[in-house]
This record gives sequence, C-alpha cells and structure tokens, in this order.
Amino acid sequence: MFHTRTSGKFLAVVAGGALLLSACAGEDSANKPEASGSASASAPAASTITYAYEQEFHSYNGNTAAENATRNNGPLQRVLAGFWFYGENGEITPDKDFGSYEKTSDSPLTVEYTFNDKAVWSDGTPIDCDDALLFWAYKSGKLPAFSTAGTTGVEDVKLPECNKGEKKFTFVYNKPFADWHANGPGATELLPAHIVAKQGGLSEDEFIAAVKATDKKKLEKAAKFFNDGWIAEGALPAADLIPASGPYKLSKLDAGQSLTFVANDKWWGTPAATPTIVERFIALDEQAQALQNREVQIIEPQPGPDVLNQLKALEGVKVNNTTQYTYEHLDFNFDSSEFKDKALREAFAKCVPRQLIVDNLIKPVAPEAKTLDIRNVAPFQSNHAAVVQASGGPGAYAQQDIEGAKAILEKAGKTGLEVKIGYQTPNPRRTSEVQLIKDSCDKAGFKVVDGGSEDFFGTVMPAGNFDVALFAWAGSSLVSGWGSTYTTPTKCDGESKGNNNGCYSNKKIDELVKKLNATVDVAAQDPILAEIEKILWADLATIPLFQHPGLSAWDETVQNVIPNPAQSTITWNMDKWSAA
Amino acid sequence: MIVFIARRLVISFFVLLAATVIMFVLTALSGDPLEDLRQDNSPNRAAKIADRTERMQLDDPLPVRYLSWLGNVVRGDLGVNRDGHDVGVMLGDALSATLQLVVAATVMAIIIGIVIGIVSALRQYSGFDYSVTFAAFICFSLPVFWVAVMLKQYMAIEFNNWLKDPSIPPTVIGALALLGGLVFGALTTGDRRRRLLSFAVGLAVTGALFTLLSVTRWFADPGFGLPLLLAISLAAAVGFTVLSAGLNPRGPLYAALGAAVIGALASEVLTPVLSDPTWLEIFGLALVTVAVCAGLGYALGGLQRRQAVSAAVLTGLFTGGVIFVDRMLQAFNDYSAAVRGRPISTIGARTPNFEGNFWQMNLDSASHLLLPSMALILISLATYTRYSRASMLEVMNQDYVRTARAKGLPERTVVVKHAFRNGLIPITTLMAVDFAGVIGGAVVTETVFGWEGMGKMFITALDQVDPMPVMAFFIVTGTAIVVFNMIADILYAYLDPRIRLS
Repeated sequence: MFHTRTSGKFLAVVAGGALLLSACAGEDSANKPEASGSASASAPAASTITYAYEQEFHSYNGNTAAENATRNNGPLQRVLAGFWFYGENGEITPDKDFGSYEKTSDSPLTVEYTFNDKAVWSDGTPIDCDDALLFWAYKSGKLPAFSTAGTTGVEDVKLPECNKGEKKFTFVYNKPFADWHANGPGATELLPAHIVAKQGGLSEDEFIAAVKATDKKKLEKAAKFFNDGWIAEGALPAADLIPASGPYKLSKLDAGQSLTFVANDKWWGTPAATPTIVERFIALDEQAQALQNREVQIIEPQPGPDVLNQLKALEGVKVNNTTQYTYEHLDFNFDSSEFKDKALREAFAKCVPRQLIVDNLIKPVAPEAKTLDIRNVAPFQSNHAAVVQASGGPGAYAQQDIEGAKAILEKAGKTGLEVKIGYQTPNPRRTSEVQLIKDSCDKAGFKVVDGGSEDFFGTVMPAGNFDVALFAWAGSSLVSGWGSTYTTPTKCDGESKGNNNGCYSNKKIDELVKKLNATVDVAAQDPILAEIEKILWADLATIPLFQHPGLSAWDETVQNVIPNPAQSTITWNMDKWSAA
Repeated sequence: MIVFIARRLVISFFVLLAATVIMFVLTALSGDPLEDLRQDNSPNRAAKIADRTERMQLDDPLPVRYLSWLGNVVRGDLGVNRDGHDVGVMLGDALSATLQLVVAATVMAIIIGIVIGIVSALRQYSGFDYSVTFAAFICFSLPVFWVAVMLKQYMAIEFNNWLKDPSIPPTVIGALALLGGLVFGALTTGDRRRRLLSFAVGLAVTGALFTLLSVTRWFADPGFGLPLLLAISLAAAVGFTVLSAGLNPRGPLYAALGAAVIGALASEVLTPVLSDPTWLEIFGLALVTVAVCAGLGYALGGLQRRQAVSAAVLTGLFTGGVIFVDRMLQAFNDYSAAVRGRPISTIGARTPNFEGNFWQMNLDSASHLLLPSMALILISLATYTRYSRASMLEVMNQDYVRTARAKGLPERTVVVKHAFRNGLIPITTLMAVDFAGVIGGAVVTETVFGWEGMGKMFITALDQVDPMPVMAFFIVTGTAIVVFNMIADILYAYLDPRIRLS
C-alpha cells in the first residue's frame, strides 16, 4: 500500500489548480461588458436556403446509363432547363421560359421546337441547333459511343434538320408515339454541345456535320468527354465546362458535404427568388434533427410514425404527407404456380386484407392513405378519378370477402393450397404485410408461406420460384414506361420476361398497350387506360395495394415549397423558394 | 532494430496479400451487385445492367477480377466503384474526413482516460473511484447511435435554444454546485471533517462560478481576457512544476511562472499577428514558445535543469493553447450571428460556404466536431480509464515502488517517475491498436453525424457488393494495423529497456 497522506497533498494541489482556474473564469467575466450585438435568432431576409438530400451529387450529365439518378437530376433540373419538366404532381409541364413546342402534324407525327430567342448558356453561347443535335446524338442510339440511359421515343425520331445557329428544330417520328410531349429535350436533358465539341477537338460546324453524318469515328473523342468528362470527382469540373441554362448554376461541390447553386445572371426568364441554394448531403434518419436545429430548411426524410410525430411536434415547421409515385402490389405467377387458374386468383384477391394493410401499416405514417384502386395512374394525377370511374376500379375485390374466398377454394377442391409470397428481405413492412395476408387468407383455406429471401430479385424472381410476388413499381405520368409489364413475353425465362415477372399474357392487353403507345392525343389515352385497368382487374393480373407514402417538412418561413411525387423531388421549383 | 523492422514488414506484406484475396472474394460473394437495378421498371433497365456488368466485370470469373484488381493496384490505380467513381479520390476524401473526426477525439480520450484512470487508482476504493468505475461502465455500454441522438437533442438543439437567453436556472446551478462539491469531497482523503470541508468549498466555488456565468450572460459572448488568462497560466505553471519537479527548490517554479507571464503578455503584444493568423504562423509561434521556454528553464533551473525545462515548455505550450481557445471564444459572437444564432451543429463537417477569419473558420470546424467527438470520447474513455487504473494499481504494488518509497523519495517522484512510466506500457498496446482501428473509421458516428469517412465508404460499398472501395479501405486499414503494431513494439522497447527488439 502506498502513502495516502502524501499522495493526498499531491492531488490537493492539482485539484486546487483546477479550482483556481475555474474560479477565475467567473471573476473576469464580470468585468466584461455585455455583448453589444449579441447573437439574435432572426437573421435578415435569407440569401441562402438549404435543403437536405440523402445522396451526393456526382455528375453534371445525368443522362448516361450510370449517372441517370435522382442524386444528379434532382439538383440539376433548375440548372439545365429544357422544353418541359415534371411539374406539380409530377405532370409534364412545358417550360415557357425556355422555349415552346407544338405538334404540327399527326401523320407523320411532327413536333416543332423553338428555343427562346434570348436563350443562352451562362457562358454567353446561344442555345440552338447544335445542342438539339447533341440531344439526338446521345439519345437516339444511332451513335452508341454516347452512353445513354435510354432511347425510348427518340430512337424513332429522324435526325432533326437544322443549321448552325438556328433556334428552331423539328422532330419527325417514324411511328406515332404517345409520350411525344415529354420526348423532346426536357429539364436536365439538354447539354451544351459547344463544350462537347470543343473537348472532342471539333469546331461547331464540324460537330454539326459529324452528327448529321452519324460519323462515329469523328465523334469518338466527343463521346468520351460526354460520358466521363462531366463526372465530379471530389469537386465540380472546371467552371467553364459546366455552363447553366436555367435560373441557377452550379458553384461549388464540397465532397461529402454540400452542393451550392448560385443564381445564373445570364438567365433570361423569371429570376431566381433566392440568390443561393445549398444542397446538403444528409442521411435520411438525421434530417429531422438537422431541420430542428435549422441547419437545413427543407427535408425529405424516410417516412415513419416516429419521425412524423417528431416533426409535428416542432414549432414553425410545416409537414407534408403527399404520396410518391411508387406503389406496392402483389403479382401472381402465371407460369409455374397454381394461380394459372383464375378461380384461385379470385379467391386470393378476395381474402387479401387491402384495407387492413393500409390501416395498420400506412396510416400511422400517412393518416390520409387509401387503398390503391388502379395500377397505372397515381391517385394525385388529374385523370385518376376519371380512369377509376371508367374502369370500375377493383369492383368486387374492393371489400375483403373471406367467406367468398373460402367458397371458391372449396369448390375448386384446393383448400389448404400452399401460397409462397416472395419478397426481398430485409424489409420489415413487407414482412408485416405478408403476416396480415397470412392471417386472413389462412382463414379462407389458403396456407400462406412467408417466402422472403435476401436474393429475391437476384435469383428467386427471375427463376419464377414464387406463387405471389410482393414488391413495388415506380410509376410515372408517362404511359410508355410500364407497357412491357403486362405484355406477353416472348419466352418465360429470366432473360426474356423483362418486367412481366409472372409472365401474364392477354392478347387484348397486348393490343391495347400497343394502341396506347401510339395514341398521341393525351386526352384520348384515358379511355384506353381505363380499358386496360378493367381487364387487369378482370384477369387479376396483379393486385395493387397502396401508394408509398412520402414525407417532407420545411421551415414555415420558406415560401413556395411544393413537394413533388415524381423523381424530380421537391427541388423542381427551387427557383421559386424564398425565405423571410 | 532495422532487421526487426524489415523482417516484420516482409512478413506483414505477405499476410496482407493473402488477406486481400479473402477480402475480395468475400465481398464479391456477399450478395447481388445488381439488386437495385432488378427492381427498376424503367425502360432502360437492360442498358443499366449491361453498363454496370461491364464496369464491375461481373461476367468474368472471380480470380480474373481479383488479378485485374491486383494488377491495377500495383500500377497505382485503385479502380472505379460500381457507378464509375474514382476510388482513389473517394479514398482521399474519406481518409481526410475520418482523420479530422477521430484523431482529436482519440487523443482526448487517451489523455482524459489515462488521467482519470490514474487518479482513481491513487484513490482506490474512494467515492471518486467508485463513481468513475460506475460511470465508465455506463459509458461503455451506451449504444453510440442513442448517445448521438441525445447529444444532438440536448447539446445542440436545446443548447442553441438556450443560448438566446443564456441564464442558468437556480435549480440547475444548485445541482451543478452539489456535483462540484461531491467531486471535491470524493477527491479529498483524510477524516470526515476534512472531506466535509472540501465538499463545502467545492459546493461554494462551483455555485458561485455558475451564478456568475449566468448573471453576466457569459455564454452570450464568452472569452477570458488578460487577467484571467494570466491567472490560468500561472495556475498551470504551478501545476506543471509540481508534476515535473516539485516546488522545492524554487528554480523550476520560477522558470514555469516566467513562461506563464511571458505567454500571457505575448497574447497582447502579438495581437497584430493573432487577429487573423495562418496555421503556419501558429506553428511558428509554437516553435518560438518552445525555444523561449526551454531557454528560461535552462537559465533558471539550477540543479533541476531538465525538469525545469520540461515544466517551462509545458507551461508555455499550455498558455499558448489557452490563448488559442480565448481567441476562438472571442470570435464566438460574430460566428454565432453568422449561423443565425445556432452555433452548435448536429450534422456535417462545416457550414456550407462559410467564410470568416482564421478563428471563425476554426470555430466552425470545432462546432461541427464537438458532438461527434463527445460521442467518440464518451465511448472510448471507459476503456482507457479501466486499463490505466488496472495497470497503475498493479505497478503501485510492485516491489520497486515500495523500494522507492523506502529510500525516502517524495510521493510525487514515486508516482510520476517510477509508477506512471511503467504503468504506461500495457496501455501502449491499447493505444496502438486503437489508433489503427480509428483509421478504419467509426461507422455509426460517421453516419449519424454526416461525415463521409472511411467507415461510411466501407459500409456503403459492402452494401452495394462493390469490391473496389472495400479493397481500397482494406489496404489502408490493414497497413495501418501492421504499422501501428510495429510502432507499439518499438515504443515498448523505449518504455521498458529490458525488452529488446530482435
């Protein structure tokens, strides 16, 4: 043992020193004058608005296969303006500031585009013919060196005939295309051709000539720059490579932290309401507290009951509960399960507790949630009510009918039929959904098995090892995207079935989808949509469950924040945001 | 020594090489790299899948993918991740974020942990010791994500709200005073009267301190000012002298006091430099401080010249540190106004686009580092406290400590020279392993506080079944572990001359 007494003295001195330090800290501050301009909470009219997004911006070009993601196109939509954008409720909205377009002929389908006379890139170069040619070059698939996220629609467009410096160009289609109004260069899709040409070692004339001749060799270097040259590796590309054509331009990327937009002084339309917008990269779970501490003013966190209550309890915060385009549904396996028999699909559809699933799992997150009646038009779209009405919606399947299901099963002699519901795990909500389905369908005589698997999308679904699949599709206001989900596949295997995972097939649907995709009059599409939904319900091709809930919240001093269910997210009108 | 290092390096190289094979194979087989695309119902799904398949060489057999990775690494190319991002750039950003985040926290945890551990060892079975043990175990078992959320709520959001009117309610002052009294009481030994007395002193002093801070609204515009600066540095001078040389003879004390006075005065004289310096100037000033203080110690130290030099240098650097903190505190008011009166932040590494002078920029970093550092320190403090307490207790019961006492050495010398240094040996291993681990990042802390560090990079890549970032992560952390273990061995030999490296 050691000497307590002596070490006590030693400690007393150390402690005494500490005491002296802290004691003095108090005395001096008494002499200090009161802070004259002490920090006040209310700052003057905000010159900066900050919003949170979970993923980091990574490329000025969000049109290549790899970079076609919301992390890029969300922030870019008011930087790279176009003839149209996803406006309120995700509807296709023409951008009148940018230019105008109109259909001038139905046969062949011809659309004439005119850039605004004042339209210039933020480096002063006019936006004109060469930019339109670049759009066609990368999106038509005729010049495969340009990486593209998809050629749908543009592959049927003839090379636009326009000359250097012209503000007009025309899309002439080989065949009718239903989504023509969203097929010209929209927001984020029109990129500066003069930069691509210069980096590709070409003059503007040479570039135009090369595209017109689809000269793969001459455009090789330009295409390489198009694919990789705009990627932001830790910082934005040089400022002269990334001019803007919208109200904002990109100013700074702080890797892992934030992306800053400043107002584009060359923008010819309505000026941006707030000079600086900052996007901060913040994980979904952390956004609520960041808003509470006002480090950001606008958030879109992961919807959940806890975060909803947390946000509702905050002072001075507006909470919005609109839904997203994504919807959850059950798909039957028409190829290798008992559900080839329509009677069994009917029985299953009758026992699925659609209302209970919404009540138990969705309403705590989105109190207004309803069951989903149709598949291909989202509840917030303007034509939703009309299509539901015309199609009849779920009809007999709107209400759960366990007795009816039981009767059908008994009649078919299939009581005790094992139903494997497959889905990707881990996903607690889907596990609960399967449990709820099991509780009620087992009463009807099915034997529901939880077929959740960590490799569901990888191997289980492509191989058709499920009776019913539970997952979600991303919807859209366009009609050309989802047709393949319901059209007859050439062969029912992982390679050929595409999005039609259950290999559903109905000749009538095949025809209707073809017809829909060729209907260029938007209003005329609704009856066809209704017809399709009617058959899909009659056939029980799939059972729609609910629209995924969305959640956003913002400081109520920020004006004009309007959430958007499309992939364009809440940033679609950031140039209108203003804060007191 | 050189042979030892060389042999270790060669062996480690082959161990690492073998480990990369295992790591690569395990990562590549850990799931489906195309999973997210399979749920995609956009028309361009096939193109996206083809694009990623080509970039990640998913059609090649694993050994080919590994060898092509290895070939590229040898040429200094870490490859690209599944979206084509340059892994080298990602690694650089992640590493710098992690180092900023964890190095300070780890150093603080080590220093505070060891000091608390030693004090609680010297006060074994006292109230202080029991409290520290209790607190250490609580901290040890706290989940980081929960601590982080609590810190954000109370240390950032509520604190910022409170800063608008920084007066401390009387009940809180009472509780803090009671706590202060208990700490003082627990630290004191002797009979009941003595302990009660120091409890009373602690109670009164803490209570008075916080009342003053509240009444003067010190938190609205914090800072020290010259008199307080002087007082703090003089107290530090006494403290460092007691630790390194003792108060008799007076030489070292005079040297340290001199260092304190010069330092405090310099804070005024150097105002032109200090109003907006650069890191280079700060570093230069630190060097000058060391030189001047060493000179002071040398001149005034007399017989205890070496101890005087170290006391003076430590005092000088400490005073410099206090001046640094003081300047940052003086910048607090402007900074707070610039961030809308909410200076403590919950997320990220800095305020986007914040521009200010040297002190405001540092304050900005500090206010962002505060919460994650506290979370990290709270958790790792426990380990260091327990380890250093145990090792100190063991050393204090050694024969050589008894011998040192028996020959009449003062307790200070026994503790600082004979016990402390020996007690450090086992902790060295812990420190080395900890530092190596720290470079691997703190996944939860980084995620919760929005730092794009090594841990985050690793976990994201693993989640995406993307071997390239995982391998880059592994090369760095694996090398760090090898190197730090070697450093631990070398430190062992330095701390304990009986150990020979061979």
